[in-house]
Amino acid sequence: MLYPDTVESEVLVHKPWFVAAMFGAIFLIFLAFNLTGTGFGELMRPIIGEPADSGLYGRFAIALTIALLFSLNVVLIGFASLRVQIGIVWLELLLLFLAFFATFHLSLPFIWQKLPFLISQGVVTTLYVSAISIVIASLIAILGAVAKLSTNGFAYAIASFYTSFFRGLPLLMQVYLIYLGLPQLGFVVGAVPAGILALSLCYGAYMTEIFRSGIQSIDRGQWEASRSMGFGFSLTMRRIILPQALPVIIPPTGNQFISMLKDSSLVSVIGVWELMFLARTLGQKTFQHMEMLISASLIYWMMSICLELIQSRIERHYGRSKIR
Amino acid sequence: MKTILKLAALSLALSLGALPAKAGAVLDRVKAAGDLKVATDANWAPQSFVNANNELDGFDVDVAKDIGKRIGVKVEFVTPGWDIITAGNWVGRWDMHVGSMTPTKKRAEIFDFPAVYYYTPAAVAVHKDSKATSLGDLDGKVIGATTTSTFEAYAKKDLTLDAAGAPAFEYKLNPKEVHSYENSTTAFDDLRLGDGVRVDAVVSSLPSINDAIKAGYPIKQVGDPVFYEPLAIAIERGDPEFSARIADAVKAMKEDGTLSTLSKKWYGVDYSVTK
Repeated sequence: MLYPDTVESEVLVHKPWFVAAMFGAIFLIFLAFNLTGTGFGELMRPIIGEPADSGLYGRFAIALTIALLFSLNVVLIGFASLRVQIGIVWLELLLLFLAFFATFHLSLPFIWQKLPFLISQGVVTTLYVSAISIVIASLIAILGAVAKLSTNGFAYAIASFYTSFFRGLPLLMQVYLIYLGLPQLGFVVGAVPAGILALSLCYGAYMTEIFRSGIQSIDRGQWEASRSMGFGFSLTMRRIILPQALPVIIPPTGNQFISMLKDSSLVSVIGVWELMFLARTLGQKTFQHMEMLISASLIYWMMSICLELIQSRIERHYGRSKIR
Repeated sequence: MKTILKLAALSLALSLGALPAKAGAVLDRVKAAGDLKVATDANWAPQSFVNANNELDGFDVDVAKDIGKRIGVKVEFVTPGWDIITAGNWVGRWDMHVGSMTPTKKRAEIFDFPAVYYYTPAAVAVHKDSKATSLGDLDGKVIGATTTSTFEAYAKKDLTLDAAGAPAFEYKLNPKEVHSYENSTTAFDDLRLGDGVRVDAVVSSLPSINDAIKAGYPIKQVGDPVFYEPLAIAIERGDPEFSARIADAVKAMKEDGTLSTLSKKWYGVDYSVTK
């Protein structure tokens, strides 16, 4: 529902046809895979006997059990309130992921030993590279959006050339071009500034388009009304257009920030010791890189969750008018 | 907009110091700064890797430190990607590369190689379930190797070892396809998946194959080493004084046994001489 209302309807997951369809689909999917050789087969040993010899009966029994458990789980969750539902489903998906990682038999002591360095060197570098890039990219985006909306031919041409070029090139190539290419022009940039420059320019181009479309989504009448009252360009923008455009701009901008946080890993190719670089390097000598890759993935994920939370906070702030 | 970009680039560049002068000036710059910037790989154990204390360590790292000591300057390491190092045009970002580079004629167009400091046997590894018993059994198979390395060049029959003292070799592999990898570890990771799952064999240095076996990778060496690779220190062309200074340092390290000691420390074998 776009907005919670008082129209009553039966819960979807309690409708008999839906439960039956879900049960049938899950049953068929798991029947298609032979799970008798897995841990699930071991669990079912009391019912199906020796898993390896159980054949079609074993597959049937396992698929039936999984389908039953899954459907029961969904129907039961359907009774809970919205918040509890969200919590339980998150928890269940998380447990599934942890079970997946547990099958890798990772060395936890090694992870604990390397974690402080991963954070003090890797996370700190990743964070400051992305934070600086986010600020610069936002500034570029504001300028770019204004230029793309202006009737000045030069401003429009330059801004549209810029967005076309930097959106059209792979970010990795931009990192290489800036790091290896700028010295040809006489500017010797270090690895970190080169990375920040590439990230800012690339994301500035994407965000230019986001800002421009957000501003353009505001009804023409708002502009005309404001201008007819004698407001200038800057005042109209600040007081009338931008406050209405921001709620439209924020969700995709949050996406860009999350995406940039992860794309900052591309600067590892020019030797910056950020999170991705360390993830590939620390476990290398002892061939424990799976440990480091998974730890780094979880750290990236947690940082993204923080950004998601901030974004939803801001969205709630701008969504005040929609709450009854 | 564009002028803003240019200004941003300019201010970044200015904040990073002026362009270094070329032609004979590297040694002066190193001595004036009192520190020698050495580029090396951070993912190439046991030559260079990040150790338990999160510091760079390994044979190449020890050699670089020793050279620094003999020149009388501090050594500082940077770890750009291999392709960025081999692209040349270092513009003073680092002064010297100690990263087991094989001197070839092509590379000599960009780099000077002051000294060969050791030789590595290159060998072929297969999954332990592989039925191959000799290199001839790998004809028509998929072979993996680090991209732009001599191992890849060997597999593609495009290897030139024209440095002084490089032993002669012959091509013994006739692969169907050569698969390139970012580094040797990713190649071994694909090999461990099973015999012929993604690759049938990997050409790499014998020390790194042995390290992978020690770490429990289900792989084994097949056949004798395919070639002995001379490995040299690389600097940018154009500073003969710097080159001579490094050559002297390495010569002294060979004479007083430092190189053999370091080689035995990291490989268990003396690789500073050819077999």
